[in-house]
Amino acid sequence: MPTLALDPQDIARLESMSVRARVIVEGAFAGLHQNPHAGASIEFAEHKEYAPGDDIRRIDWKAVGRVDRYYLKRFEDETEMRTFLVLDASASMGYGRRGPSKLTYGSYLAAALAYLLAQQGDPAGLLLFDDRTRQYLPPRTRGGHIRDLLIALEAVTPAGRTEPGRALAHVAEMADRRSLIVLFTDLLDAPADLADRLRQVRSRGNDVVVFQILDPDEVELPYDEVTAFEAMEPDDARRLLVDPRDLAASFRRESLALRERWRQICVEARVEYQFATTVEPPAEVLRAFLFARQRARR
Amino acid sequence: MHFVAPSLLLGLLAAALPALIHRIGRRRARPIRFAAMELLLRAEREVSARRRLRDVLLLIVRTGLAMALPLAFARPFVEVKSDLPAVTGRSQSAVVVLDDSASMRRRGHDGTPFEVARARARAVIDHLSPDSEVALVLASEGATAPVAELSSDRARVLLALDAVPCSARRADFAAALRRATQILTGSPHGDRLIYAVTDLQATGWQEVSLPPAAAGGPELVILDVSGGAPWENRAIVGLAAEPAPEEGAQGIAVVAEIANFAAEPVHALGVTLALDGVEVARGFVDVPAHGHARKRFVHTIAGGGAHEADAVIDHDGFPLDDRRACLVEASRGLRVLIVDGDPRTVRTEDEVFFLEAALRAGGSGFSVITTLADDLGGRDLASFGAIFLANVNRPTPAVAAALVRYVEAGGGLFISVGDHIDTDAWNQELKKILPQPLGLKRTAAASPGAHPEGETVDLRPAERLAPIDRRHPLLSAFPAQGDGLSSARFFQFMLLTPLPDAPGRRVVLRYESGAPALVEAEIGRGRVLLLTTTVDREWTDLPIRPGFLPLVQEAARYLAGAPSGEATSAIAVGQKREIGLDADDRRIEIVRPNGDSRWLSPASHAGEARARRLVVFTETDEPGFYRVRAARGDGSVSDRPDAAFVVNLDVRESDPARLPDDKRPDRVATPALAGPAPQRRLELWHALGAAAIVLVLLESLLTLRFRRGRFKP
Repeated sequence: MPTLALDPQDIARLESMSVRARVIVEGAFAGLHQNPHAGASIEFAEHKEYAPGDDIRRIDWKAVGRVDRYYLKRFEDETEMRTFLVLDASASMGYGRRGPSKLTYGSYLAAALAYLLAQQGDPAGLLLFDDRTRQYLPPRTRGGHIRDLLIALEAVTPAGRTEPGRALAHVAEMADRRSLIVLFTDLLDAPADLADRLRQVRSRGNDVVVFQILDPDEVELPYDEVTAFEAMEPDDARRLLVDPRDLAASFRRESLALRERWRQICVEARVEYQFATTVEPPAEVLRAFLFARQRARR
Repeated sequence: MHFVAPSLLLGLLAAALPALIHRIGRRRARPIRFAAMELLLRAEREVSARRRLRDVLLLIVRTGLAMALPLAFARPFVEVKSDLPAVTGRSQSAVVVLDDSASMRRRGHDGTPFEVARARARAVIDHLSPDSEVALVLASEGATAPVAELSSDRARVLLALDAVPCSARRADFAAALRRATQILTGSPHGDRLIYAVTDLQATGWQEVSLPPAAAGGPELVILDVSGGAPWENRAIVGLAAEPAPEEGAQGIAVVAEIANFAAEPVHALGVTLALDGVEVARGFVDVPAHGHARKRFVHTIAGGGAHEADAVIDHDGFPLDDRRACLVEASRGLRVLIVDGDPRTVRTEDEVFFLEAALRAGGSGFSVITTLADDLGGRDLASFGAIFLANVNRPTPAVAAALVRYVEAGGGLFISVGDHIDTDAWNQELKKILPQPLGLKRTAAASPGAHPEGETVDLRPAERLAPIDRRHPLLSAFPAQGDGLSSARFFQFMLLTPLPDAPGRRVVLRYESGAPALVEAEIGRGRVLLLTTTVDREWTDLPIRPGFLPLVQEAARYLAGAPSGEATSAIAVGQKREIGLDADDRRIEIVRPNGDSRWLSPASHAGEARARRLVVFTETDEPGFYRVRAARGDGSVSDRPDAAFVVNLDVRESDPARLPDDKRPDRVATPALAGPAPQRRLELWHALGAAAIVLVLLESLLTLRFRRGRFKP
């Protein structure tokens, strides 16, 4: 069985974001040996349209009578959950030397999740931010909503400084009932109050997932000649002329320490933490995320 | 500083290259906009100190390398003033006299004086002009010259100089300078110089005389390597063993004489005595400044034979004279049996009165027992180290046989004659052990000659003794003129029947008339001494002469094979040692203190029978115990403990006194010795080349290390 877990560079060659989202989702479910349209999601669907392979005992016959379409029953422990996809579109997310930028990669993941949610009839919203909210699409389930969301993701460009705390605060205001908030960011220049903000959002009953997305250069620092490094975000004049080979070992350690710090912060705040580099197939990242969700539910 | 090729110094501009390359490299750095600046800056902070250190080190090393190479190629040199005399630079014939005496082996701040002297001698030889000739002579007594003729082969002379070890002999500059003068005699050069490189120890410069330079003699230049500072020294200058009767028959006392040559007294100086290599006693002694002290150790020796006694004091800067050795013989003890052949009721008229008194004299250590001839048969003769038969009438056959056995087994027998002697019986019964058959009694006819004032004069005609031969161990303690013996008068004596020369027999003392007075014979393993006069005053006044006491005491020791101090068993370093061969000995092996051995055979060309019975050992270069073994006629090899000997340092080498300036033979003003100090060119490019190699290695090492490590956290 051929795998559909394409590399990010292959995905970039696909013509539109909707195709990319579909390929990623199919790739993720190919690994699961399940039909992504078979409605295995138990979390996002309030009602889910029947697809071949679904358990027919779960068909909601009342709904069949009402709308003449086959929907599966919702589980008792499930409640309706709206999803906010929060994507960091600051200038630093635009780094990508040998593949897609972190922003592009984040948009792939967000698009795939939005596509999956739309397939299940779950409302998904999108918030693009830098140091302010750049664009906000509230969670909806109407037909054209997913198209608007994918267009917004395809059109986003990196700019400005990052303020993930402010974006989270914005989302928390919008989420008037229990919601799933998925944050895509690199956490490189995240302010210290982000941890407090995560705790606050989580304390309101929201389910929070943080995707830390880094370029491989930000993990290994594989440069091999004297380089003048310059900061990417506006108003940041930091510059460093150095032979990166001298710093590689120390940089790896610092990078690992950063990831471990955020992982620990998330554990303490009961926030789910996912890490990905922009060279990993997004389908595999998505699959790992879904697995983690399933395990958490059990 | 000067340069052979100064134009090559332009290459020093290359020293700027490393810094320049560094700066260009930084300018050409590619700019990259990077998101993880915070991580980057943190990493930089962590390694910045070490990175800067590395950069500075590499910059220094590379700049140094860039400077060292052109500097080395420019051949820099400096001219330094030489500390050698001005005359060394002239064309000349020179003899370097190197002081290799024992005192040059003491420890100093810059190594031993000998090492300094050798370096100075090398500097002199190096600095001589190319057309000069040079020879090398050693100053120690009896040393052979390493280069005994003038040579222009400088490398050969330097090689010989490097091979010279420092001896343990005494310095003898008188002989060394004579030798140097002799070498220079046939030199074609106008300038003839002797360079004496020495510590100027005064004892080595006695009796030095040189022909004056005006009379064509060589000029003497003394290079003093002592630094002018006096050295303090303590030494054992004497070691003697003597019987210690208070400790029994096997008791000995070893007396060490310690000298302090320093201006300060020494308190509680440790002295250790070892016997046969085992430490048996340790004590302490105070020695006054410029004075002597004695330390006496008493010990009981277990077993007979020769024992090695070794005394050591706490070491100072000259350890060679901090130890001294002697041999202790404890063969048969020192029990002496006197057989009185003419006892008298008046004690002073008794035949052995004077003999007994002399042997019992304080400090002799003899255990003297007197018996009558008739009682001799019941005695265990083997328990005595020496037996004196004084005017014994005629020994019974049993006694005669016992005496023969006693002597052949190694005993010592002293026979003195008198009116009671039955010459026929003696010649018949004791023929085997008599050195010569007894003959007629002779009464002196000569005038007694002059008498010292106040002496009791016996006007009978008398003979005197001929000058004595001090080479005999019995007589070595007497002055050359035989004081103490020469005044003795002999009114009567017994003639001996002449015999052909025989090995082991010799006349020790003669009368002026030529008749033998004291004859020695080696019989089997023992010895017999025959005195042809009496030991009382009946035939001679010898017993009342000063020489009588030491004569009989030494005779008793000699016969018993007992020690009489260092003199009989010890010699100074460099002295030769004569070793007599026993009847069955074919060759002699001498084992030196370091374990090396030499086989010696008696000289085959010697005409005299006695010469064939001796070997002469001359390689007494190191202090210590020299053991002797003999190869017998039957092919066996056995020890000869009786011939073992000790070599000690010449005590004159312990005296640190310097030769006073007014007695230095080089202090005569000589125009040839004046002049500016010579300049010496010191090439620096070797050092710079070596530095460049080290810098290349260092640069490679640093680069490799930093590339591998890359500042691992």
